[in-house]
Amino acid sequence: MTAFLGTVGVGLGLVGAIGGAATLVMALSLRRSEHHRRVFWWVGTMTAGCVIAVLAMEVGLLTDNFSMQYVAANSTRATPWLYKVATLWGALEGSLLLWALVLSGYVAAVSISFRRRIEDRLVAWALLTMLAVCVFFFGLLAAPADPFGTLLVAPLDGEGLNPLLRNHPLMAIHPVMLYLGYVGFTVPFGFAVAALVTGRLGEGWLVTTRVWTLIAWGSLTVGILLGAWWSYEVLGWGGYWAWDPVENASLLPWLTGTAFLHSVIVQERRGMLRVWNLSLLLATFALTIFGTFLTRSGVIDSVHEFSASSLGPLLLGLFATIVILSVALVGWRGDQLRSPGSIDSPVSREGAFLANNLLFTLVAFIILLGTVFPLIVEAINNDQLAVGRPYFDRMLLPLGIALLLVMGVAPLLTWRSTNGHLLGTRALGPAALGALTMAAAVWLGAEGLGPVLGIGLGGFVIGSAVRHLALTARRQGWRAATGRAGGGMVAHIGVSLLAFGFIASTSFSEEGEFQLRPGEGGSVAGHQIRFVELTDEMDGPNRVVRAQIEVEGRGVYAPAITQYPTFGRPIATPSVATSLVDDVYLSLVAIPEENSDVVVVRVLVEPLVGWIWVGGFVIAAGTVLAIVPERRKRHSELEDALA
Amino acid sequence: MKIRLWVSWFCVMIVASASLLVAAVAEDPPATEAQRAYEIKATVLCPVCDGQNVLESNAPVAAAIRAQVDELVEQGRSDEEIRAWMARQYGADVNAIPPRTGIASLVWMVPVFVAVVSIGALAFAFVRWRAGRELEVSDEDLRIVRSLRGKN
Repeated sequence: MTAFLGTVGVGLGLVGAIGGAATLVMALSLRRSEHHRRVFWWVGTMTAGCVIAVLAMEVGLLTDNFSMQYVAANSTRATPWLYKVATLWGALEGSLLLWALVLSGYVAAVSISFRRRIEDRLVAWALLTMLAVCVFFFGLLAAPADPFGTLLVAPLDGEGLNPLLRNHPLMAIHPVMLYLGYVGFTVPFGFAVAALVTGRLGEGWLVTTRVWTLIAWGSLTVGILLGAWWSYEVLGWGGYWAWDPVENASLLPWLTGTAFLHSVIVQERRGMLRVWNLSLLLATFALTIFGTFLTRSGVIDSVHEFSASSLGPLLLGLFATIVILSVALVGWRGDQLRSPGSIDSPVSREGAFLANNLLFTLVAFIILLGTVFPLIVEAINNDQLAVGRPYFDRMLLPLGIALLLVMGVAPLLTWRSTNGHLLGTRALGPAALGALTMAAAVWLGAEGLGPVLGIGLGGFVIGSAVRHLALTARRQGWRAATGRAGGGMVAHIGVSLLAFGFIASTSFSEEGEFQLRPGEGGSVAGHQIRFVELTDEMDGPNRVVRAQIEVEGRGVYAPAITQYPTFGRPIATPSVATSLVDDVYLSLVAIPEENSDVVVVRVLVEPLVGWIWVGGFVIAAGTVLAIVPERRKRHSELEDALA
Repeated sequence: MKIRLWVSWFCVMIVASASLLVAAVAEDPPATEAQRAYEIKATVLCPVCDGQNVLESNAPVAAAIRAQVDELVEQGRSDEEIRAWMARQYGADVNAIPPRTGIASLVWMVPVFVAVVSIGALAFAFVRWRAGRELEVSDEDLRIVRSLRGKN
């Protein structure tokens, strides 16, 4: 019954998406704009259908309905309710259902927020594009990835998720945020295609989609960082970023999206870079689909591969369609896209934005190349090789340094051109802060040219952002931190904090591995630890070994290691003594032998890791601040004029 | 005024370069055998665990490789010899650093090439922009300007 309801929901979703798209195609081709309004009903049907399907799945999961194949394969009776809810996105079919839900939600929100402009061909084409994407995803759910398959004989208990996915509450948030970002880029993509098709390539569509792009970008940023945090808290190796293909796949659209958010300012201000901005948006959406292909087709080995499948060819087909369509549209409108005006000097705000874009696209290119390179080589001559973290570290270090430099200089520059004396005056304060940050870092024991330079540039960025905010605050008070420039500066401060955490934790961490009996201890980077006692319990069918370890001055922490009967190697659950200065990361290396009280514990001391999460929070706050006061008079007038 | 600016910048530069100098000198190359072994382990991937290196993985084979690296370092083998040994034993894809020879070297060279070409293209664009181009005003631009003017 529940499964049947779910199937009906997916069916309604598919019908709604196809019906809406067909309605718009008819109305657009017959030029009957009064018919556009009918699309609301179809969008409503689609969204309602998707909500029904998701609710059916959640009911199935929460009521342990093991006659449903998905529930039997991914849930168990013993799973706590939060993880039962989260099991919706724990495996392939369910995560596509979540994708469909987020996508329907965005389409519904766009229809509501543009209800008064629905007769506008630009809005109609944008909705049509988004609905076409909906048709694809509901199509996947209807046949090749049907989440509502049933079993003739329901098992007594299900198999449960991969244990890694059910031992931290972040599992309930990280995928949702990530999808809000990933899927959100469908909206600006729709408007970009609409602008190209209708030939209305002025700045109107950009102003219209700004908020949507910011929401998608902000969610993706938070989603990626929550993923990093989850990995840090759960995986037990003490890191948060491994240049794993799936991580790279989430970072690629973030990079092109970030480049777009910056270069679009040049277009709004000077009417330039039209082709480039459109291409960035189209590429961002294409990269979200490409990332999904990489991670859902099983072509690449990755720790994230919880849900490999045979959807590869379909996703690759969608990706190819998007790329071909985009290139064809941009080529077709090439003449109209040629933008007037010119950039006078490289030492100008425009110049800085161009440098930003160059760097971001280079970073994206290197990550894309490194991720797919093993596949290319294997296809050419069957060689197996790996492109690992050392490659990305080495290639991206200079680009990261350059990005920080541009980030610090850009807010000091004026539009058109900036003379040396003005720049010298403006940059002095921020540069002094940068130099003092370096001196302080060295005094605190930092070493190495790269890390110290990075930290100094972080200080420089903060100085230049604070200078900008302080100058604006004289005129506008607290509102200085709002709007694109203000929110952007707050986000820059967040990026610097994140950079401090990233640099310090990767460059200055220390570690030790100890074999301890109760009462024995050790020391890493000035932190004394002492092993208090061991508990060895059965939690249902799972053997959980927990070590009480005292970290001097921080309290007692209890890293654990669990042997699941259904999963080969034991899973370590680390425990982290966090502070703003450094984290003491405790992780049990192996499951102790029965009746032995000797544990092997790995201790990592990582300075400033906490700053990464704080920085992420500040970036998110900056994004919200950038969105809030968008209703400025100047813009709405421009919008009217363009409508 | 100008002098004061120069003097201030001079002080900033002194502090910055002194800090960087101290930082650069303080960092010394891996001296002990344990440090060298650590650096090697960080670049050898565990063959059974999808992208984690042998330092991070607690799989049995990772522990075995850690022990082998320690032993080979103790025997005085060079980094390159140890990596080659690992590649023979466990397959070339345990080496996290792609080789700099053959087709694999492209992964190192292509980004440099792309960077040089795109910086060149940008420089070319600036030269062309500086040469100056006539400002083109499209009909749509005119319409926007007119409708905005009509309002005020």
